Amino acid sequence: MISELLQYKFITNSLLAGILASISCGIIGTYIVTRRMVFLSGGITHASFGGIGIGYFFGFNPIISAAVFGILSALGIEFVSKRSEIREDSVIGILWSFGMAVGIMFVFLTPGYAPNLMSYLFGSILTVSTLDILLMAGLSLILIIVFIAFYRIILFISYDQEFAKTHRIAVSLINYILISLVALTIVLNIKVVGIILVISLLTIPQSTANLFTKNFKNIIIASIVIGLIGAFLGLVISYKINIPSGASIIFSLVIIFILAKLFQLSVRKIKLKKQKV
Amino acid sequence: MSKIVEIKSVFAGYNDEIILKDVSLDIFDDDFIGIIGPNGGGKTTLLNVILGLLKPLKGSVKFCDDLRTDRNNKIGYLPQQNKIDKKFPITVKDVVLSGLIYKSGFLSRHSKADKLKTDNTLERIGICNIKNSPIGELSGGQMQKVLLARAIVSSPRLLILDEPNTFVDNQFEGELYEILNELNKEMAIIIVTHDVGTISSYVKTIACVNRSLHYHKSNKISEEQLALYDCPIKLITHGDVPHTVLKKHNH
Repeated sequence: MISELLQYKFITNSLLAGILASISCGIIGTYIVTRRMVFLSGGITHASFGGIGIGYFFGFNPIISAAVFGILSALGIEFVSKRSEIREDSVIGILWSFGMAVGIMFVFLTPGYAPNLMSYLFGSILTVSTLDILLMAGLSLILIIVFIAFYRIILFISYDQEFAKTHRIAVSLINYILISLVALTIVLNIKVVGIILVISLLTIPQSTANLFTKNFKNIIIASIVIGLIGAFLGLVISYKINIPSGASIIFSLVIIFILAKLFQLSVRKIKLKKQKV
Repeated sequence: MSKIVEIKSVFAGYNDEIILKDVSLDIFDDDFIGIIGPNGGGKTTLLNVILGLLKPLKGSVKFCDDLRTDRNNKIGYLPQQNKIDKKFPITVKDVVLSGLIYKSGFLSRHSKADKLKTDNTLERIGICNIKNSPIGELSGGQMQKVLLARAIVSSPRLLILDEPNTFVDNQFEGELYEILNELNKEMAIIIVTHDVGTISSYVKTIACVNRSLHYHKSNKISEEQLALYDCPIKLITHGDVPHTVLKKHNH
């Protein structure tokens, strides 16, 4: 079946997209989860829908405008929440819904039927274009370089920003750069699983990995592997029973998480029993 | 004895609220200052000003010598433990190594000297046995020791501790003060405590912060002196337990 699948270009493209999504989400997801920025990332994800709507209306690639919109909202959240008296989560809530509102307005203002709109909401890995693949590959490469080159700085700042500040590290600058990379990762992975589901790629593999390792670097590596397995399983399910790939990928990831949790619990039980005897 | 920090009539606060009013304090290299005062009185604000985390609205903070002139930071900082995320996936060794963060540049390689320094500090604080443990598995006292090791790994000239005696038991507190007493031979120490009840007898001077700062140049008050002043609090003490009564003052 696999060799038969590989004959189609869209299948190889979607496999590539799955691999690249696992890499970028494995790295950025670990940063998001350990820094407890999941809600913030949800905000960026939905805000970027504004960019997709604008892209439709003005007729350019929605991913590009979504990237611009996503990065701007990410920087905006980071900037406003540090300075104003509004709570950070309220700022996120406002931008979250504002982005969606802008997106809906522009989609409805665009004359005619909006093609592929559903693919942005729920993901459609089978329609990933070669340009999408190139962008994702570029992003993965940048992330790998940044996280290898500045691993310790990123780790230490994530652990304790204030301490890093007392040592005169440019914490704000690094935060701005990383939040932009978070936004880029989210937007470029929207095609794979969609706006509604992209947050799962950034959290489920990490939570699964975190069951077995308490080491930042190992969580990244394990998340990438788990993401790969989930993406591959999801694609096969999606092909077999003809459902959107985003849903089947997340379904596989959650099943993997549940199995891992059960495995961990039973290992603990066995250990306890041994101690009692 | 030389002056390392000079705080001159500093006003500081957040947004529109001024918390510290006209605070002046000189810190010398052999000081062991205990900072006390009510919650919201500005203890942490004062620390933030000294640490450079908060810019004063008025007044000046001067660092003498090489304290703040290069990247090699000479201030060690132990934050309140509740500011630390205990679920963060990091090992004890890496937390201590992060005390040398100003050295971690491109490619994130730490030199052998840095690793040796980390090992020595772990040994000095007595936590070599948990070197490779994730921080999530530590007790409150162990965590405090790890944070102390991180604060001193860069051999600072000034060590600042924000409420190190919360979340720990009495035995640890005794141990902590023993270590601090040793460290005081090499560096100045400022310690913030949440209540007056348990401040160490090793503390040489006491600064009372409640919006303004009142500096008691000694940590002891003789009985004759006691008789002269109205005591703002009732004292209950068991015989020889060392205690300090500060004279009444108006902020």
